[in-house]
Amino acid sequence: MTVIAHTSAGTSRATKPARTRSTRQRTQANQVPKLRYIVVLLAGIFAILGGQLLLSIAVSGGAYEIASLKSELRGSHQKQQIVSEEISALVAPDTLANLASSLGMVPDNNPAYIRVSDGAVLGEAIPALASSGGQVFAVTAGTETLVAPAIVEDVFVTISASMIQRTDEAGALAFDVEEPTFGDTQGPVVSPVSLSEAPAPRFGGSIPSPVTR
Amino acid sequence: MTHQRVSSRRMGVALLVVFLMAGLLVSRLVDVQVVRAAELKEQSAEIRATAEVLWASRGSIVDSFGNYLATDVDRYDISADPRKVGDFRRDGEIVTVSEAMAEIALITEANSDELLYAVTQDPAAHFTYLVKSVSPENREALRDLRNPWLQMDLVRERTYPFGPVTANLTGMLGRDEPLAGVERKYDPCLQAINGVASYQRGADGIRLPGTTQLVEEPIHGGDVTLTIDSDLQWYVLQTLAEHGSKLGAEYGSALVVRVSDGHVLAAADWPTFDPNDFSKAPVEFMGARSFSSPYEPGSIMKSVGIAMLIDAGYTYSEDKIVAPGFYQVYPGRFIKNFVVADDRQLTAAGVLHTSSNTGISVLANRMPKAEATRYFGQFGFGEVTGINFLGESSGQVLPVDRVDVVTRYNQFFGQGISVTAAQMASSYQTLANDGVRVPLRLVDGCTTNDGEFIAEPLGEPVRVVSQSAAQQTVRMMETIVAQGPLRNTLEIPGYRVAAKTGTAEIATSSGYGDDRVISLAGMAPAEDPEYVVLVSFYKPQTSRVSTAAAPAFHEILSHVLKHYRVAPSSQPAVLPPLTW
Repeated sequence: MTVIAHTSAGTSRATKPARTRSTRQRTQANQVPKLRYIVVLLAGIFAILGGQLLLSIAVSGGAYEIASLKSELRGSHQKQQIVSEEISALVAPDTLANLASSLGMVPDNNPAYIRVSDGAVLGEAIPALASSGGQVFAVTAGTETLVAPAIVEDVFVTISASMIQRTDEAGALAFDVEEPTFGDTQGPVVSPVSLSEAPAPRFGGSIPSPVTR
Repeated sequence: MTHQRVSSRRMGVALLVVFLMAGLLVSRLVDVQVVRAAELKEQSAEIRATAEVLWASRGSIVDSFGNYLATDVDRYDISADPRKVGDFRRDGEIVTVSEAMAEIALITEANSDELLYAVTQDPAAHFTYLVKSVSPENREALRDLRNPWLQMDLVRERTYPFGPVTANLTGMLGRDEPLAGVERKYDPCLQAINGVASYQRGADGIRLPGTTQLVEEPIHGGDVTLTIDSDLQWYVLQTLAEHGSKLGAEYGSALVVRVSDGHVLAAADWPTFDPNDFSKAPVEFMGARSFSSPYEPGSIMKSVGIAMLIDAGYTYSEDKIVAPGFYQVYPGRFIKNFVVADDRQLTAAGVLHTSSNTGISVLANRMPKAEATRYFGQFGFGEVTGINFLGESSGQVLPVDRVDVVTRYNQFFGQGISVTAAQMASSYQTLANDGVRVPLRLVDGCTTNDGEFIAEPLGEPVRVVSQSAAQQTVRMMETIVAQGPLRNTLEIPGYRVAAKTGTAEIATSSGYGDDRVISLAGMAPAEDPEYVVLVSFYKPQTSRVSTAAAPAFHEILSHVLKHYRVAPSSQPAVLPPLTW
């Protein structure tokens, strides 16, 4: 214990000179290659550590990229969903019927066709009457809370505006009055949906109507 | 020497202490790394890991053209922690809580006072909802407010883009489970199971690479395809609503069936409900009455009865009979006609044409009641249709031993037998399809999330009556449209139409009352029927005769012919004589 406690390069050399000398000779003989080994070893270790560090930096960088791409993907999904919800709202039969009647179209249930090959009319073509409906009826027991999606309202507004403009233009030509400005809501109003003519549904209720917009 | 000894003893003590401490550390190391390793690892993972719900989408319900009738969409629940709610700074300006609430209210159309109340009523609460199910667009707008205490959590919500149009068929999804219709019956196909992943994340919220653990894989639901044409269904429902409200009817049902394969193209029930918001809808209007509500169909059953009688050889369309003014079942008990008249010399076709109760009783008398009961069964009455809709009623055909002496006649004109609108449509499909009943079909199949289509099993077609019996019956029904009093209402120029009216009395606890079910069932083009249409109104008030159902039937049938581009009839009808 004491020996160990006092051990230092100096004391061991003093007490056991012969052994030290022989060690020293060996050491001197191997000194150059050993140093090389150590340098190579250390360099290797540092290279590995450095590489690992770079790798982990790259991976972490990737994690940020993944996170941003993921949020981009989520955003795109969301946009796709918003758009497909809008499409669904626009292709809903109720919406189409309302849009069609706001353009002044009426349903004609009488089936008649033209055969293209010889121009023959199949079935009996009877013109549709302007009064033949076009209104959309409430189908629930007055409990629906239908709120037309914004996109549907936008389309309604666009159509009504263009109808107003067209009527105004027609009026201007026919009666030679002052040219009305576009979007002049005071001009002759074409009721986009003939809702007012619809008989009151038995269960009450209402449908989304662009008239109030 | 003494100095040396003292110093070595000191040394010894120091070493001992060092060893003891090292030992302590080693034992602690062993304890942590070996003995309690698993437990501690778990605890640490729990602290560091964040669990994430991997949302799985419930499958969609689509119509035959792929339109979405029910589908999942992203919505956001907006919430806040009342303890953290306070004024905040944005672009150097202070935004007060009430201003912030006003901003939120403006975007979500909520009431800002209610929002304020939600966060102030219990300031110590850890959580409160502000607005539920906010659309992705509004969520973007909310995010742009850069409000630090606003939390937005993704939830999946069910929407029905066409609203009430197919609500009776799709049913709806409740908070935890599907409540009705296809949603419920095909839940095993539609069902989605959310997954869970856990990962660790750094202080900036970025997930640490390599720490994601998939605890449970999300399982997306499959899509259910219906045979329904939702455009047609919409039209049918509109027609029901228009005429139903004019008639002051309690409810109405209509079906359109493709003859060749029994596909139900439309099955509408009015009034119906909006599956997007059914909280206030009356329960009685939330189902599919076409399938669930049996009724005594009345005279539309006569066509079926005539077909049975012809098939069994008891009559034929030109068969000459005398339809008495009253038909005596037993002394004191008579069957009478809708319009009481003297004895008439009618052919079998004339019996159907004039819807003579006494006439059909004369014919029915020729068929043993056991045979009639068997025929009713073959037409599909008394059992659910091939659709086997959720909660479908099988109606009631009395067993032979309970068919009394009056009922055996009544059944032939649709009293004393109860059927659903779907069964009735199916029986007309049989007549239209040369006597072969193809089981009705509403659900085509399930497309799993892997893209595999699993078709609903096809029902076996059943030969119910002979081709000749079916065709003779259709010819007879054509006379009603071509020569009957309803000619002007029912005729579709260019097409041959076959139809039968029915006015049925509604049984109450005290016998038959004043209320009626009025129906019309028919097909076109009559020379080779492609589509069957059935319309029924329950308890009409302004008119209680079947003619009142004719305009609705006519509108639907013309629409069907136009919608599916059916070529007009080219051969003129050769119709049987009605009298002799």
